[in-house]
Amino acid sequence: MRLPNTLSTILWLVRDTFRQSLASGIFWILLVVSALSIGVCLSAGVRGEAQLAYPGENPEFLPRQDRDAKDPEKAKKDKVPVVSGELTLGFGSLSVPLARDARSAVHCLQLFLAGGVADTLGLLLTLVWTAGFLPGFLDRRNISVLLAKPAPRWCLLMGKYIGVLAFVLLNSVIFVGGTWLALGVRTGVWNASYLLCVPILLLHFAIFFSFSLLLAVCTRSTVVCVFGSILFWFLCWGMNYGRHAVVTAAQIAPEAAFSSQLTWLANVGYWVLPKPADLSMVLFNALDAHGYFSQAFDVAAVRQAGYFSLSLSILTSLVFTGYLLIASARQFATTDY
Amino acid sequence: MKPRIVAQFDQVRKVYRSGIWPRRAVQALRGVSLSVPAGTVFGVLGPNRAGKTTLVKILLSVCRATSGRVLRFGIPIRDRHTLRRVGYVHESQAFPTYLTAHSLLEYYGALSAVPRAEVRRRAGELLDYVGLSDRLNEPIGGFSKGMLQRLALAQALINDPELLVLDEPTEGMDLFARHLLHGLILERKQRGKTAILVSHSLSDVEQLCDHAVVLRSGEVAFAGALDDLTHQGQDDEESALPLEDALQPLYAGATA
Repeated sequence: MRLPNTLSTILWLVRDTFRQSLASGIFWILLVVSALSIGVCLSAGVRGEAQLAYPGENPEFLPRQDRDAKDPEKAKKDKVPVVSGELTLGFGSLSVPLARDARSAVHCLQLFLAGGVADTLGLLLTLVWTAGFLPGFLDRRNISVLLAKPAPRWCLLMGKYIGVLAFVLLNSVIFVGGTWLALGVRTGVWNASYLLCVPILLLHFAIFFSFSLLLAVCTRSTVVCVFGSILFWFLCWGMNYGRHAVVTAAQIAPEAAFSSQLTWLANVGYWVLPKPADLSMVLFNALDAHGYFSQAFDVAAVRQAGYFSLSLSILTSLVFTGYLLIASARQFATTDY
Repeated sequence: MKPRIVAQFDQVRKVYRSGIWPRRAVQALRGVSLSVPAGTVFGVLGPNRAGKTTLVKILLSVCRATSGRVLRFGIPIRDRHTLRRVGYVHESQAFPTYLTAHSLLEYYGALSAVPRAEVRRRAGELLDYVGLSDRLNEPIGGFSKGMLQRLALAQALINDPELLVLDEPTEGMDLFARHLLHGLILERKQRGKTAILVSHSLSDVEQLCDHAVVLRSGEVAFAGALDDLTHQGQDDEESALPLEDALQPLYAGATA
């Protein structure tokens, strides 16, 4: 099949996926979630404009509870800024005293939206909601007619996979772009690194959806795809955290060190499976979240123990995804319908 | 001059395997050899589980043969290009219910590698032909079975195929649609186009087919001109058996 035909087939399948998402209501559900989040951001505001430096840049500012901060004259004379602002939500109906300056408050809100809403809850829910797309597409009575078309089988399958990714990309752009724009307009804080969430979220989703794809091709069952995806998601997170805990246990408390067999098993599982916690760290780094949240595992300790390489971690996650895609295409190519 | 062959099966076997343990093997086709000449309406007959649908699915690359050789327009079926010249009506369609009749034809036409302008032109003509032109923008989820069968027919014709494969196409069709289908097949035949018709409806076969294969338990019980089948065992060339009577000895002993 020539390239223009291949591209045309993939584009039609992308289009079909969008139609499917509209008809199933998933597009609207995600749009409502995005609209609600954008609404929250549009209702946000920041009072108090003291520009405080980020941690590490200039530590000379005073928290509002500090004894010296109670004496504004002294602080002014010493040229030490004092935290004074507050973040308001619901158009001023709810106010939260700031621990730092306005920029940091917006940054903190963005971290919550990116890490909590999009990368954890949003990703899991999208995985569940899109899990039914492929089994429906692969229904024997539907796919038989499509397989009698000249398009190669791998092209049909990858077209649908790309279609789901395009759908997630669009929703990520709406969510991230919308909340970024809303917060920028309301607070005047334009944190461009927040936009990096879009490719990172897409990569994260692409990895997990490849497993759903394989399940769909092998079983054509929506139930298996939904529960399989959830289990796989938890397994990967558990394996990722578990492995880091195992390899650093000896450093933290030598008496708590795990056996060499268990360490070996944890390492094998870690390197074979995708590494969502490590990928979240990419998001963590991109959003410069170090000053606000601590990570669930001690990266420094893992790195110090010589057990951590972010680039290798991402590369092996991608290799796993590539393997699943090839296995799915191969399985699809040899299945009788 | 030898007739051009549209489809050729040479010692084709198909074994389906099911279950995990013990793994069960079911022989659907056992060394089937036959040829479908161009410009004919070729009936595929046989009792249930004779291997009829498997045969056409192998020809359409929906299933893979376990062994043997299959040619489509003289080219091995692994070359999917030749599927551009084929249209297929499945025995029980399940089109995506969110599509409209028009968008379905556009989508399936594009997958058949038909240029977009031609798809648009043909889609309008075909929907008009199958009597769905007044419903072209309605979601097909609300269509009756008969309407879906007519839409399936339009879908199969979107690329103006040289070979039309119809698997139980008249099931659920009303009289109007049945007439439409008959007229279409005969009109196409006059234009030198081929149809393969898998059917349990002997009246359809009698009215439309000129050649046929009768399968029994995955083997060819008869292959040739339909006239030869109905004249089998008849001394008088003028007298022909009704198709049902001619088929009875061929179906006998088949495992249902």
